[in-house]
Amino acid sequence: MWPIMKITYREMISKRIFTITILMSLAFLLLFGVATWYAAREMNESWGGRASDMLLQKNFFSTQLLGMGLYFGSFITALLAILSSVGSIAHEVESHQIDTWLARALPRHRYVLGKFGGLTSMLVLYALLMFLGILGINQWVGGGMLAVDVSAQQIGTSLGYFILMPVILVCVSLLLSSITTTVTGGIILIILYGISFIGGFVEQIGSILGENALINIGIISSLLFPTDSLFRQSTVALFEAAEDPISFASQGIFGTTSPPSQLMFFYTLFYGAATLALAVRLFGKRDV
Amino acid sequence: MSNYVIETWDLSKQYNGKAGCKNITLQVPRGSVFGFLGQNGAGKSTFVRTMLGLLHPTAGKAVMLGHPIGTVESRQKVGYLPELFRYPDWLTGQQLLEHHAQLCGLSRSQGRAVIRDVLEQVGLAGRERERIRGYSKGMQQRIGIACALLSDPELIFLDEPTSALDPIGRKEVRELITRLRDQGKTIFLNSHLLSEMESVCNYVGIIHRSELVVHGDWRKLSSVAPQVELTVEAASFSAGEELPAFVTESRLLREAASRATWLLTLDQDNRVPALLQALVGRGAAVHEVVQKQQSLEEVFLYWVQKKEGEAHVADHENHV
Repeated sequence: MWPIMKITYREMISKRIFTITILMSLAFLLLFGVATWYAAREMNESWGGRASDMLLQKNFFSTQLLGMGLYFGSFITALLAILSSVGSIAHEVESHQIDTWLARALPRHRYVLGKFGGLTSMLVLYALLMFLGILGINQWVGGGMLAVDVSAQQIGTSLGYFILMPVILVCVSLLLSSITTTVTGGIILIILYGISFIGGFVEQIGSILGENALINIGIISSLLFPTDSLFRQSTVALFEAAEDPISFASQGIFGTTSPPSQLMFFYTLFYGAATLALAVRLFGKRDV
Repeated sequence: MSNYVIETWDLSKQYNGKAGCKNITLQVPRGSVFGFLGQNGAGKSTFVRTMLGLLHPTAGKAVMLGHPIGTVESRQKVGYLPELFRYPDWLTGQQLLEHHAQLCGLSRSQGRAVIRDVLEQVGLAGRERERIRGYSKGMQQRIGIACALLSDPELIFLDEPTSALDPIGRKEVRELITRLRDQGKTIFLNSHLLSEMESVCNYVGIIHRSELVVHGDWRKLSSVAPQVELTVEAASFSAGEELPAFVTESRLLREAASRATWLLTLDQDNRVPALLQALVGRGAAVHEVVQKQQSLEEVFLYWVQKKEGEAHVADHENHV
């Protein structure tokens, strides 16, 4: 399995998309840092010594800015996960590169699991750095004015949800890559991610309006593809309990007024494990 | 240990009941160079890919190196050069071989030694630090052969191994195959370049329209229709009732000056002395008798045409 993981690392690093994503991520972090710095300076100048009186506004703006950063961070992590993994098996089958690997004494399940190990470890590292980068900017560049007050336990829990998202994406991506072509798999995966993305917003709007139909649409979309619920769980864990009506997790466009249940989290874990198991099984049976 | 490295029984891989390979029953002797001959699309590569577990058979069974195909054990000591050789072009030749060495379970030091050796064997020593994307097609084929040799395999599948090589490269590959055979390895060679196969193969299998027509020692397969070219004084010989019964067919090839050259087909290849005796006994002035050595191409064409003829007759009978 290790040689397959290793070649997966090499392949990811050698791809132009990876270099571009890294450069653009750095550009994003730089922009986010500049925006945070200016926002903090502006707030300092406007509120000055009245900051303690403006606590609610201060916390609202700081969580919004951080929430926005994390949302974009999760978005580009998802895109990188999709683009780097959807062709990981399919492209090798299409180009016949896979022939010499599989003609070795290598069981097919090890091949799929090697790909999974390589892709997830790289993407988890990327998501980890992205999360810590955004949070670090908030804490250090935002200073006393924009830094969100978070505990180590909150960071840990939130980070756990955040890095789980690319893992789930890789599981589904490998399933699609095992049974279909790169292009078809890519289209299906982007549509699924879009459904989850839009469904998440629809659910939050439904929750604000008290519309059960909208909430149900969101729940169904989460069941179909549960990545958005992971982001929601991540922000809820970072910005405290969403059930609290003045919780900052529930406010603004990236807020979560309808937090995913614990059951949803276990469903997400099962979803990832099931799709990976299916990928292993179907790839073992197919002709290459 | 079995004398055969490959044994198949009615092995089939068909796509919706068509193409691929069908009911292949053959044995490949250990230590032989086995040429699998057939036209483009006859099913040669499908058979190899089925043996290697890349395709799942639709019927029949097969054993490779004593293990059922599709199992990891069956591929433990096997090397493979695919017809469509494609390697990750962002790797260098050295990195590609290192990855394959790891897949073969070789330690770092073992891997280094083996890689050096196979690079020498395929003539790529000194070029291994270059990226594969910069390799010519011939170099890519050579690195593919190097990959196939890495695990010190007992059985090596080479699918059209010289398709991208120049004449010198082809000669080198033929020499390499001969060396490997001398080391006791079995080479399963897929090709439609019959002239190349002739010099290295001792066993062949002929596949036509997905079905195996015949297999065995090709020089014995060629003796199915032993022939001699007989040059005689034209006036002293005429075909017909003068010929012994073991001459099954005769045809005048040419007549020049007073000499005539006949092509005689015998029922067995050991009839030449008897034929000479009979001719001299009947007063024929014999100038030359040349036993015709059939080329692999002639053997191939003979069997394929025979198969075509049988199929034509069967079709005709079905219509009637």
